[in-house]
Amino acid sequence: MQVDLIAPALAALAALAFGSLIGYGPTRKLIAVKEAHHELKRGSAGFLRQVGGWSVIALWLMAVWFAGTIIGDWGATGDLAGALDRAWLRLRILLEIAAALADSD
Amino acid sequence: MPEAVQSELQCPSCGGQCAFDPSQGALRCTSCGNARKIEHLDGDDAAQELDYCPKGPGTDVPVLAKARTHHCQTCGGAVVFAGQALSERCAYCDGPVVLSEGDEGYRTMALIPFQLREGFAWEQAQRWIKGRWAAPNDLAAEVEKGRMAGIYVPFFTFDSREALQYWGTYTVRRNKKTITRRVSGSMQIDFDDLLVPASPHITPLIRDGVLHDFRPDTLRPYHPGYLAGFAAERHHLSVAAGLAANADDKDLLIRNRIEGHAGRKLASIRYQTDTSGLRYRRILLPVWIVHYTYDGKPMKVVVCGLRGQTYGERPFSGMKLLAMSAALSAAALGLGIAWGALGLL
Repeated sequence: MQVDLIAPALAALAALAFGSLIGYGPTRKLIAVKEAHHELKRGSAGFLRQVGGWSVIALWLMAVWFAGTIIGDWGATGDLAGALDRAWLRLRILLEIAAALADSD
Repeated sequence: MPEAVQSELQCPSCGGQCAFDPSQGALRCTSCGNARKIEHLDGDDAAQELDYCPKGPGTDVPVLAKARTHHCQTCGGAVVFAGQALSERCAYCDGPVVLSEGDEGYRTMALIPFQLREGFAWEQAQRWIKGRWAAPNDLAAEVEKGRMAGIYVPFFTFDSREALQYWGTYTVRRNKKTITRRVSGSMQIDFDDLLVPASPHITPLIRDGVLHDFRPDTLRPYHPGYLAGFAAERHHLSVAAGLAANADDKDLLIRNRIEGHAGRKLASIRYQTDTSGLRYRRILLPVWIVHYTYDGKPMKVVVCGLRGQTYGERPFSGMKLLAMSAALSAAALGLGIAWGALGLL
């Protein structure tokens, strides 16, 4: 069982490293949005500019979460192909949510 | 500077130089401490606005300055000192300034005097810097070495009425298909006292960070006494140039209002507007600016001289950003792993 978990654990580490790297920009955006909400005049041009593009934060976290669900499924069942198959429905729902978020950004 | 103004800034008791004291809202002698209120002429109306007709006769004519104007050799800024020149450095970029004989600018109509003292503004700037997420560890120490200057910055206020017609599109999902729909409408927007920086040194973003509660009813008629002890930048932009500088901001605000009117986010927006009732003021607003450099890059923190709201430029620590990104990634990944392991959808 321990041997079976090594590959998902390594995949989790790789996903964490990749997620951290691609999250550099969204994290900076998160700080800009937080500062805009606390410090800029609501509804002003500066506020709208700083807040615009916030959906990149949600897209990044959703992508990392999605990778995690596959790894979790794989670790629990030991069946990578099955985990990928089961992830398709989740992916379609996520894409619908992502499209809605991008539209409302 | 005209001799009349120069003598007005001299203390009637001891003949010393007076400077404006924000805590008393009065001119205070730097030698004997004697304070006196600034007197305005009858009929001075700070709230007065001027009509602007882009195609009308040229009433927006610059006048030759009689004040001593210092030109910055680094950023090109022009700064006026009422009374004695306080500094040989530019209030914006800390570069060296040189005195020039005369300068063409536009007449300032009103101002709001400083209401905060330097000490409080300095504390506000330090507090703002310490509250930054993912800031380099040595940032507060670098800002500590910075220099603070109080300056009156030129702004326009613009009023206008926009009669708009707009057309836009949005998408909806129906039966796994994306359908594009059109929307159109007409509306009217009244912009009242839209504050526009007339200086390249205050960006619209900094304006929106520090001037939350600009109230035109607190404007006072222009009087050089308010400038004594501070630097002030002259109005150099024509109204047409001020309107052009504000065009991007106005476009963004109009698009935002159109989406509010349509009741949804729109993928594309076109609009036509008929602008009327264009009125303006040229005013000065007080700010404290802290100049500092980080990694050789000049930056500034601006504190509003009215209420103390603070905003500015700041560097990020790459390692701290990466650590925050890793922490958020770990949380999302952990949640995902638990989700997948439990066999949820």
